Amino acid sequence: MGGFKRWLAGALGALAMAVPLALPAQGAGVDLERIRGPKVRDLYLVVVRDPDAAILALERGKLDILGDVTRPSDIRRLSKDPRFSLSMAENFHMAQVGFNLRKFPWNVQELRRAAAMAIPRDRLVRELFSGYSAPLTTFLPPVSPYCDKSAAAPGLDAEGARALLKKAGWTWNGSGILVPPGSKTPLPPATILSPTAGVAPTTAELADRIAAALREIGIPVKAEPLDFAAMVQRIDERKFDLYLMAWQLGRDPDSLYSFYHSSMDVRGGYNQTGLKDAVMDGLLEALRYSPDEPAARKAAKAVQKALADRLPIIPIYTRYSVAAVSREWKGAVVTKASAADNSWSLLSMEPASGRERPLYWALGDEPRTLNPFTASTATDWQVLGLVYDTLLAVNPNDLSDLPWLARSWKVETMAKAGAPKTRLTFSLRGDVFWQDGKPFTAKDVKATLLFLKKHAIPRYFDSVRDIESVTVPDDRTVVVTMKNVSYWHLHSIGGLPLFPAALLDRIRDWRSWQPSRTPLPGKTGLTELYGTGPFVFRESKAGDFVRFTRNERFWLIPR
Amino acid sequence: MRPVKRYWTRRLGGAACVVAIVLVANFFLFRLMPGDPVATVLDPRFSPEAKAQLEALYGLDQPLGVQFLLYLRRMATFDFGLSFSTQRPVLEEILERLPNTLALLVPAYLLSVLLGTVLGVIAARRRGHLAEKAVLAAGAVSFSFPSFFVQMVLLLLFAYVFPVFPLRGSLSIPPPEGTWRILADRIWHLALPVFSLVLLGFGGWALTVRNLVVKVMGEDFMILARAKGIGERRLLWGHALRAALPPLLTLFLLSLPGVVSGAVLTETVFSLHGVGRFLLDSVLGQDYPAAGGAFYLLTLITVGSNLLADFLVQLADPRIKTGGEESR
Repeated sequence: MGGFKRWLAGALGALAMAVPLALPAQGAGVDLERIRGPKVRDLYLVVVRDPDAAILALERGKLDILGDVTRPSDIRRLSKDPRFSLSMAENFHMAQVGFNLRKFPWNVQELRRAAAMAIPRDRLVRELFSGYSAPLTTFLPPVSPYCDKSAAAPGLDAEGARALLKKAGWTWNGSGILVPPGSKTPLPPATILSPTAGVAPTTAELADRIAAALREIGIPVKAEPLDFAAMVQRIDERKFDLYLMAWQLGRDPDSLYSFYHSSMDVRGGYNQTGLKDAVMDGLLEALRYSPDEPAARKAAKAVQKALADRLPIIPIYTRYSVAAVSREWKGAVVTKASAADNSWSLLSMEPASGRERPLYWALGDEPRTLNPFTASTATDWQVLGLVYDTLLAVNPNDLSDLPWLARSWKVETMAKAGAPKTRLTFSLRGDVFWQDGKPFTAKDVKATLLFLKKHAIPRYFDSVRDIESVTVPDDRTVVVTMKNVSYWHLHSIGGLPLFPAALLDRIRDWRSWQPSRTPLPGKTGLTELYGTGPFVFRESKAGDFVRFTRNERFWLIPR
Repeated sequence: MRPVKRYWTRRLGGAACVVAIVLVANFFLFRLMPGDPVATVLDPRFSPEAKAQLEALYGLDQPLGVQFLLYLRRMATFDFGLSFSTQRPVLEEILERLPNTLALLVPAYLLSVLLGTVLGVIAARRRGHLAEKAVLAAGAVSFSFPSFFVQMVLLLLFAYVFPVFPLRGSLSIPPPEGTWRILADRIWHLALPVFSLVLLGFGGWALTVRNLVVKVMGEDFMILARAKGIGERRLLWGHALRAALPPLLTLFLLSLPGVVSGAVLTETVFSLHGVGRFLLDSVLGQDYPAAGGAFYLLTLITVGSNLLADFLVQLADPRIKTGGEESR
């Protein structure tokens, strides 16, 4: 590429990168103590499946909050519109290239390292995402409290990559293709699997460009776009060389165990790269069974350091979350880790004019089911999350644990008789009521945990499988003893939605239960879809909207 | 056996065979597709054991033969089982969506056919004139434009730039009170999607009708009718169109299943809760019971339309015999 072209590409890239900087300053921290709500009386979750229609609806005033704005053109358009306030936050999204370590040459560490050094992440992100994503070198998304930024994959250094390979004895044939040490045969052609351009245009383009970058250092790779299900099947059957895939991870580093422990290289497991390493297994087990937070943090750090050495994957980029809110509303909660479309915003938002009116929040898809036992999509839980509450909440400022229905908690390791076990003790708030008016007690927590365990409900299976016993010393205390030791049990149990014990007793078949369609006997306007959450479910018009009203008994409403 | 009886026995037997073949294909094709409903659950917090629980929940842990027998029993009794994604009976899901789809497609289809037929006959009558050229051009444009693009442009124009129609859905939010107001609100919401489908659908009909009528106009019996002094209007609408009716009826009925599946894009653009979208979601989500049930019903509609077309064509054109010696 000529000098001018290179300058032009750089200038255009810099211009594109400048766009996110034009967005409103991001919230560094929100005083959660001051949030008292919800303030809004009527809430409509409006179903708009088509992203173009969603943008038009927002602009026509038919929506007040629109989350998950992903297309750079939409972000630019909305950021120029004075009627909206745009917020951008870091995300648990993580796109990565995985190697099939079960076969040569991908099981050769220096080749993987050289590949990581050949990929120009910054340029790719700049050109393909106009700056609304960030290049990634870490093994957890940087927003994760457990991300160790010092344990990173190497950055762009194509010359360094060549030098590294040369030092290890690799050579290049006349066509510039790598020849392994001690061999005369060049590397065979390989492919990098990716979704098709029809499904994920930027990912398909990204795979193409990554392949081109790898060819630059002599690795003969071509992109192989596939239907998503076909791609997953190829990876499951371990019939691949490399793949490009994006994940939406969570706050905790538990994904590391799933991705890299040798026991997870089985059917249905997520160790897709096939990493089998006794040292790594030991580190991952230490992480999974850490007795407390400091030990967990230390173990997470050690795992990430080991991954940076082994490089079973190359992290590529992480996407930002972008949300738009109408300026007719004030009080949206925006932090570094959360754009405005979050449940805290729903607690604190109120009309800027002071005149009461319903709030319209976009649902990007139709909720498939409002049965909390079978609901699995993000859309389902965008609805259900307004009704059901948990023992612990996540602080949107720093992603730490926050007291919610549990006023306080204790994590202990019991080692009196037999194998050590984790014991969780939750002290519950005394001012929480179910939406039918009955008080929320420790018996409800116990009933929920035992119900989920007894029925082995897939969605909750991993959270409750290790429960050994649940005891209720009094109405405000729950003690959960687990079969083994793990600090993460706190988040597994503390993050479960809670159901009224009286209701659980009545459920005959959890699978076909349709709470939103079953009126609650003796309670006009209520259905069996009720909890302790900030909003009361009122009705769902399939394809159109889900309507809620404020839960006047919600404990965060000032009395 | 009388020829009519023999003919219909053969036709019904053939139809039953088609349904049986589709039933078998429906079961195996979805299972031959890459991936399965559990494999595509991509959540590292979901352990292999939890996935096994999910497989059991869906009944996918049973041997394929057992699954097949269960499937056949379900199709025979119209109990399609529970949808994997919603865990509600598939038939209930379809019936819930059907009114929306019918409210969209029935008026749209009938208006397209009516408009296309009228314009096609006018074009045939005014051969070489501006009217024919205009109908041909409009028909070609309507027929060839991608529906998604046209609908997005209409939405932009008539719901955004000139906000005459609503942007989305089948009901205002909050909905109005009172039966008549709700009915009026629904009609208002359906107006633009129906208009878009008419705009996209009339062209094909206009071109087909024009071609058929032009062909019929040159037939001997038309020349004879004209020589007998029958008026031009009666000649056209009473004779020519009637002669062109059998192929039009066949086309009308055979297009029905395509119209249902073609509703997918319209329902997506206008955020409508219909059967078309359900069909697409079921296939994409590898929801075997939902996709199996929906395709089975679509097959029955196709086969039923075929049989009905045969029956009506015979009624419309007495020259068509029903097999046996007479047909040769």
